[in-house]
Formats: sequence, C-alpha cells, structure tokens
Amino acid sequence: MTIKHKVFAVGLALALAGGGAAVTQAQTKKYTITTVVKIAGVAWFNRMEQGVALFAKDTGQNATQVGPASADAALQNQIVEDLIAKKVDAITVVPNSPESMEPVLKKALDSKIVVVGHEGSNLENVTYDVEAFDNAAFGAHLMDNLAKAMGEEGEYAVFVGHLTAKTHNQWVDAAIARQKDKYPKMKLVADKQESLEDQQVAYTKTKELLQAHPNLKGIQGSASTDVAGAALAVEDAGLGSQVNVVGTSLPSIAGPYITSGTIKAISFWDPAKAAYVVDKVAVMALEGKKVEDGMNFGQEGYEKVTLKGHVITGQAWVDCTKDNLSTFNF
Amino acid sequence: MRRLLSRLATSPQGIMLATGIVLAVLFSVANPVFLSAPNIVDLLRNAIVTGIFAIGVLIVLASGGIDVSFTAIGAFALYATTKLLIVSGIHPPMLAIFAIGIAIGVALGFVNGLLIGLLGLPTLIVTLATLSLFRGALLTFVGTLYYGTIPAEMVAYSRQPLLAFHLASGRVVQLPLAFGNFVLVAGFAALILGSTMFGRKIYALGGSEEAAARIGIDVRRVKLAIFMLVGGIAGLAGVTHVTLMRIANPFDLVGSELNVIAAVVLGGARITGGHGTVSGTIIGVLVITMINSSLLLIGVPTYWQRLVVGGLILFGTGLPIAIERFNLHRARLRAAAGPTVTVQAPV
Repeated sequence: MTIKHKVFAVGLALALAGGGAAVTQAQTKKYTITTVVKIAGVAWFNRMEQGVALFAKDTGQNATQVGPASADAALQNQIVEDLIAKKVDAITVVPNSPESMEPVLKKALDSKIVVVGHEGSNLENVTYDVEAFDNAAFGAHLMDNLAKAMGEEGEYAVFVGHLTAKTHNQWVDAAIARQKDKYPKMKLVADKQESLEDQQVAYTKTKELLQAHPNLKGIQGSASTDVAGAALAVEDAGLGSQVNVVGTSLPSIAGPYITSGTIKAISFWDPAKAAYVVDKVAVMALEGKKVEDGMNFGQEGYEKVTLKGHVITGQAWVDCTKDNLSTFNF
Repeated sequence: MRRLLSRLATSPQGIMLATGIVLAVLFSVANPVFLSAPNIVDLLRNAIVTGIFAIGVLIVLASGGIDVSFTAIGAFALYATTKLLIVSGIHPPMLAIFAIGIAIGVALGFVNGLLIGLLGLPTLIVTLATLSLFRGALLTFVGTLYYGTIPAEMVAYSRQPLLAFHLASGRVVQLPLAFGNFVLVAGFAALILGSTMFGRKIYALGGSEEAAARIGIDVRRVKLAIFMLVGGIAGLAGVTHVTLMRIANPFDLVGSELNVIAAVVLGGARITGGHGTVSGTIIGVLVITMINSSLLLIGVPTYWQRLVVGGLILFGTGLPIAIERFNLHRARLRAAAGPTVTVQAPV
C-alpha cells in the first residue's frame, strides 16, 4: 500500500510540476497499468501476478493485477469498465471470451487507454497482443518431445480438451504433421481423443486406448489435466515402463508423474515472463515507441519476437522434466 | 419360473438389465476385448464415483424430490478435506479422512434440508441454487489451487487393491479398495429403503406427500433427514474421487449431475417419485458407464461418440416405457375380451 501511495504521490507531483512540459517528462512519468486475468486465485494467474510484481519492482511503474472470482466473461467486462472509469493509463487483458470483450476494449481505446492482449491473437480492439509462441511451432515441439521419449518409433495417441478448442487442435494437428514429416516409424492410432478438460475422462479413455491398442507407446496431452489422467491410467495398468506421456501441463499438476517417470516432459509457457513482456509493451505504447519485428524484450523466449499486424509472438515455451521440476512453483 | 421371468421382463430393472446385456453382446461382437477381464475391471472402477452419487440421487428421487447440488457437495468435501489435511499437517487414518468428508457433506446437506424441509421450498429450485452457492463458496473461501500431491494416507489407500492380477503381457489389472465404498453405500441404502420405517416413509412421501402427512409422518423431519443422508453420501463420493484420481481439483465433479441422474432414471426410478430400487440403480450406473467408456474400444469415431451416447440413453429410457405401454395396452384388451379377468397395472 505504501509503495502504491508513494508512486501515486510521485505521479501527482510530476503532474503538478510538469504543466506544459509533458513531452520532456515522458521518460520519468509513472503509469498505472492494470492486468485483467481470466480468473483470480488459480496457480497459473498467481504465477502471472509474480511477473507483474517483478515488472513493477524493476521499473517503478504502478503495475497490478486483478481478476474475477470465476472465469466469467461478463464479470471480466465489468472489471474493464471500472478501470476505464478510474482512468488507468493501460489495461492488459487475458480474455475469457475474446469476441465478447471487443466492445468494452473499444471503449477503452476510445478513452485513450492503451490496451495490450495476451492469449487473444484474434482481438481487434487492442494496441498490441502478445503471444508466447506460435501454436504450430509449439505443437511440433511437443511431437519432438514425444518422439524422443518413444525412441522415434511405435504407436501413439493424442488428446485435446475439446474438439472445438482451437489452440488444442492447432497443437495436435501440427504435432501429427511433424510426425508424418520427421518420424515415419511412429503411427497415430485412433483419432483425436476428447478429454472434456476432465482428468477422469482422460483416465477412462487412456484405459480404453490401452485395451484397444496393446502396443501403445506414447500419449500426447493438451489440456493441463490430460497428462495426469493418462499417466495415472498407465501406472494403474502397470505399464509405466512401456507407455510415455508428454503434453501441455503445469508442474503442480503433473509433478508426481514426472517424478515417477511416466510423464517424460511437459511444456508450457511461463505466465510471469509473458506478463512482464505484456507490461513492457504497454509502457512502450504509452511512451509512443513502436514495437518492431525482431525486437529483444530481455526475457527468456522473447529475445527475438516476430510482429505480424499488431500481434507480437515469442518462442517462449518451457520444458519441465525430472531434472528441473524442483525449480517451478506453479 | 415362467411367472418369475415374465415379472422380471416387465419390471424396469429387468428391462434395463436385458438392454444392458444386448448392448454388451453388441459391443463384444464389435471388439472381443470388451468382455476381457481387464476391461470389465476397468468398467467397475469407472462406475465407483457415479455409483455412490447415484445411490444418493435414488433416495431423493424415491422421496419425490430431485437433487442437482450433490456434485457441488462432493467437490466441496473432496477439496476441503484434502486442504484441511495438507494445511494442518495432521495424518489421521483413512477411516477418519472419510469421516471428515462425510461430515462436511452432512453439514451441506443440512443446509438443503433446512431450506426444503423447514421452509418447504421446491427441491429443484433449492438444489439448483445451492449447486451454485456451494461451488461458489468453495472457490471463493476455500481455494482454487490444484493439489497434485495429496496426503500419503490417501495415496496408500488408493494403491490398495480389492482385487489384483497380472496378465501374461505384463499388464496389471486391479480393482481399487474404493469399490468397497460403492458396495457398502449400496448395501446400506438397500437396508434403509427396504427394511426400515424411515425407508417406508421415503417411498410414502414420494407416492403422495399429502397422504404421508395425513397418516402421521412428520414430512419436514423426514426431508431434513433425507438431505443430510444424501449430503453424507455425496461427501463420501467426493473423498473417494480424490483417492481414485490422486489430485484434489476443486473444479472436478460439478457438471456430471445429469449423467448420474440419467443413470438412476435408466435404472427405473421415476422423476415423479415413489419408485426406484437399489438393484435397478446399480444396473443403470453400469449401463451408463459401459456406454460412456466403450465407444472408443468398439471404434466409434470421436466426433460420433456424443451422438451415440445420446441415442443409447434415449433408447435405454424409452424402451422400458414403450414396453410398459404395450403391457398396459394388452391388459386392457384382455379386460375388454372377458369381464372376469382382473386388471392389474404393472408397477
């Protein structure tokens, strides 16, 4: 609280002293930047908040994070409305439903507020949008991990959270394409399995897969609980040494199975680093600087970003294996 | 013998059992692995949590009410119990852990019971509201973080098999001890519904609340007791779910209400109350689980699976009703043919 007050006081003092000389003060002005996440209190966004706090500490900007109690688009819109009324300098947002956020984000832009999105590459009413990686490149990377775990041969199966989940399908489609291209001795069995983002369903379907395809050697998961459900089913069947599991997940969910060795590697992006870059982009926009293709944002995975339209993309995936599991706390 | 067979063929459980057998035969023709021991054991394991919930739903349906809040009670119990153990660092025996979960369930059931029994509000409205209320309270006040590492007692329990054997291929097949929870709850409910005054009162309430009140049943107290009992059963289901999945996820369970209610209705209980048996419910649970966890095995493409599940549920619930109509129609024809035949509507 006291830091916030100080920042506010400094900002106020500068504003009072500044008067007409606003341009020369752009370098030292403290901005209020608020990050609006999908839902408050879950491990993922707690980790993101650490990135926001680090950014505030490093730069002295008044950067904070808020989010609704449930992952609800309407509640999130309400928060953005409130921030517009409070006249913050920048809003950064991880939308629950990008489409339904457009009107309120347009209102923010119209009020001369900088808007930076994350996980919303199709958002239109934003100054910039930051994506941790290209989905196709990430999918190919997951396949590389799976191929390595399986010794580049044998039968494998893939999970998506929902058949309608765009990103999951992009990952899996790119992974299958990579396998056909680079790992001819591997073979996809059955079609994409739908876990409904439910660990119990991933468990049940994995047990079925093991029945229907006794030679199964690998499973790739998409929703964060897919790999945990699949790995438990594999371990319950006593097949931990035969079947290898990889996918997108978090150390807090997949940890026990990474330790036991059934899950060979999980991949994700670090929400703290993403938030740091998002806030950095917001400050650049506030200072009137342009983001350029190939720029270095000084965070791991964002050293050479690509810029397409207003979408900034990094290569910021992180692999977690037995060796580095203990270094993650989310 | 013939009479027994014909009675079985006209009872809802009998028809459901026959439907289940027909489906099982179809599935095993499509893929012989369906009838293999590992698959049957997997099926029984997958039926555990749905089964425990279903027994609770059966009791409410028999009493003429409906409960949709039981998954939220289960989720609350599973998460609050696990978090309590992790945060406090205490290591009670597994039996005590189940007792904590059941106690949380009973307490939440008490809230339902007060609103329904004492204030006389409709069960669907109250439980729809408490479904959201309990879940919201859980996420707001208890927490939203996943616990990927659960207390050692729970892990040890989940590794104990009720039944286990190795296959030549090196595969291990095991039915977890938690299956015993389903058996115990089913046995307990069968005893209560079939052999106690309380059980008779539940069916009486489901038949006609007005009539039950007039013969001197304290309707309000019975309703309070029903919802506390069902809350306790849901609490047990929740803790059982943690031990099976080895993760405490506060977002689990909620969303599976309709699947459970469908299983109970498939098993012959009626939404209108007064009917339903434990044996029928078990059959309904097994058939629903079989449908939900065999389509991949018999090679139904992923995009088709929901369509097929919906179709089979419609078939499973529609067939008994069609057969009952047909029997009633035949009885009427017989009655019209000769006045000496007494008509008894099949129950």
